[in-house]
Amino acid sequence: MWARVCGALAGIWLMAAPSVLGYGGAARVSDLIAGPLAVSAAVIAMSQVTRPIRWAALPLGAWVVIAPWLLDAPAKARVSGLLAGVLLIGVALVRGQVHERFGGGWAALWRRGEA
Amino acid sequence: MTPPGWSYDPSSWSERLPLIGLALVGFGIAGYLALVQLGVFGRAWEPFFGNGSETILHSRVSRLLPIPDAALGAAGYLLDAASGAIGGRARWRTQPWVVVLFGFAVGPLGAVSLLLVILQPVLFQAWCTLCLASALVSLLMIGPAMDECLASLQFLVREHRAGRSVWRAFRGGAP
Repeated sequence: MWARVCGALAGIWLMAAPSVLGYGGAARVSDLIAGPLAVSAAVIAMSQVTRPIRWAALPLGAWVVIAPWLLDAPAKARVSGLLAGVLLIGVALVRGQVHERFGGGWAALWRRGEA
Repeated sequence: MTPPGWSYDPSSWSERLPLIGLALVGFGIAGYLALVQLGVFGRAWEPFFGNGSETILHSRVSRLLPIPDAALGAAGYLLDAASGAIGGRARWRTQPWVVVLFGFAVGPLGAVSLLLVILQPVLFQAWCTLCLASALVSLLMIGPAMDECLASLQFLVREHRAGRSVWRAFRGGAP
């Protein structure tokens, strides 16, 4: 659960960062889209049945790290993106507890013998 | 009734009542915002972002459709609540069409409304507290609603693999 909370906090930070740190342009738009997506992935992944959604934080985090460089953002945006992006990549790798059983899960829909 | 291979029943009332409650909260928020857009209330309640709510609630995008966009959101929450309430504790098996409709209303439809809210600060450089609250309600519902949907889909796949009619099972006619 703490991994999902950290992912959501990283997303909320990305939503606020352009205003708090004062940067605009393409880097702002990037963070205002990546932020809510990170929050959404984290909150949806809080449920055990949709825990695989945590992996969405992996490409999101990678984008958040490199986007300020690609988009020629100021240094503070690069530092913010590096920290938030590395955190997102980290929490994507943490599965967390899944103690309920779901009859083979989503894979049972296309794998024989598990449903 | 717990589905085979599951540790709990996703159609039990303890699983569904919180979702129905969330949908009704979302309906209240979206309904209030729709009334603001219709001019029934002067200004939306906005504790944090100054004129942000006004900017967003009366934007050109909000007027693209003949009815206020928040009214669509309110209708969506009503669909969530209704499709969450219909059927009993085994409805993942007895009424899969209701469960799939519920999953579609909460999942894909909820995700679309979430994306529309995400675009607001990008397009209008403004934030709206109650719009964010409504988006959070939509978001909180997605994960908890998906387990029931999965149970119904697994049931339909089992019927299909057993050589029985998926359509009949979907409508709730399975023996």
